[in-house]
Amino acid sequence: MSEVNLESRPILARHVRLQMDAARETAVLLYPEGVLELNPTAHEIVQRCDGQTSVAGLIAALAAEYEASPEELRDDVLDCVARLHARNFLVFAP
Amino acid sequence: MKYRPYALLAEVTYRCPLHCPYCSNPTKAPAGAELETADWVRVLREAAALGVLQVGFSGGEPLQRPDLDRLIAAAREAGLYTNLITSGVGLDARRARELGAAGLDSAQLSFQADEAALADGVAGTPAHVRKLAAAAAIRDAGIAFSANVVLHRGNLSRLREIIAFVLELGAERLELANTQYYGWAYLNRAQLLPTREQVAQAARVAAEEKERLAGRLEIFYVLPDYYEDRPKPCMNGWGQRYLTVNPVGEVLPCPTASSIPGLRFDDVRNRSLAWIWQESESFNRFRGTEWMPEPCQSCPRREIDFGGCRCQAALVAGDAAKTDPVCALSPDHERIETAIAAINNETDFAITACVPRK
Repeated sequence: MSEVNLESRPILARHVRLQMDAARETAVLLYPEGVLELNPTAHEIVQRCDGQTSVAGLIAALAAEYEASPEELRDDVLDCVARLHARNFLVFAP
Repeated sequence: MKYRPYALLAEVTYRCPLHCPYCSNPTKAPAGAELETADWVRVLREAAALGVLQVGFSGGEPLQRPDLDRLIAAAREAGLYTNLITSGVGLDARRARELGAAGLDSAQLSFQADEAALADGVAGTPAHVRKLAAAAAIRDAGIAFSANVVLHRGNLSRLREIIAFVLELGAERLELANTQYYGWAYLNRAQLLPTREQVAQAARVAAEEKERLAGRLEIFYVLPDYYEDRPKPCMNGWGQRYLTVNPVGEVLPCPTASSIPGLRFDDVRNRSLAWIWQESESFNRFRGTEWMPEPCQSCPRREIDFGGCRCQAALVAGDAAKTDPVCALSPDHERIETAIAAINNETDFAITACVPRK
């Protein structure tokens, strides 16, 4: 399995859909026979995963949005993408 | 609302061109006409309003309904994730494109085995070659593709070949589901039940292959509960996360609940889904832990496995309100041991000795 790095360009796997759960006002990933509730940070990351933007690009975008330094966000974003990749929710564009 | 449903199983018809001896249809179908398109559209909207996020279109064979694309479109419009649970018979390229255009997120295609002779024997009809065509149609329509294989004595020893076959087909996910012994499968238990050695070997193969194929094929292995010493957390608790609407409009807490004697089910044509979920006798009958007998009542696992499966308790122990007899702590556990002993380590499988689904 390929490992995540700053050049990886994640995108939701074909069987996964991002949606708002109206009942709980949270974002969820839906997949066959399952639901994963996303925390607000994971939601911010996942909604930017378009298969074009690299992990470095995601970090830069989030840093700009929240006026934080990219260094502070780096490990959290890498970790979140790696965890969603390990569970097959995110794949990396070739 | 204390309990909120997450997933709806929409059994849109009992009709099916296959005759598998472990069919999940009831052995005696309830009387009544199939729900109309408009009924289903309303049910799907009501389900979404209740908090449901997912719908599985199942049956029988859901492709037998000519309005399936309209039901999928209605589900997507209501914001539901849509999964088609199908034998693939009737799914050509044109139909797959139609269902994809209607918004189908995912298709779960069943296979009986990795090769036609065994598969067609189990299905009671030459379906295997049509399933190969259905797999191509799903892939070409850009629909996420899962495969499902029900495992039993006749195919469990071919698990490695089955996994290789599914990988070759291009599926992204594979559910390997050991037979659950209700309904037709219970009638055919003496033929379908694998031996302890077969089960141990299959668990090793599944674990090895899951690791070897990580990132290429996602494998889910559903354990055979007869060989476990604690029961499965059936439906994640009665009336806690799931509801099923059957072809004639009855709402069930689990797909096989109609096999429980004395339970009556409300009809979506007479009551709202919200009322049935929250207020009906059937959904409240085994909710929570108060209904539990010993040894469940004082068991530290009572909110982990919820006492196991009510249908299995009814079928094997003769009372749906007893502990699932699969549990080694159940006073009726011996009945499971007896069923296992009765197959006498037989590994030969004779499909001709099975009662085919009628």
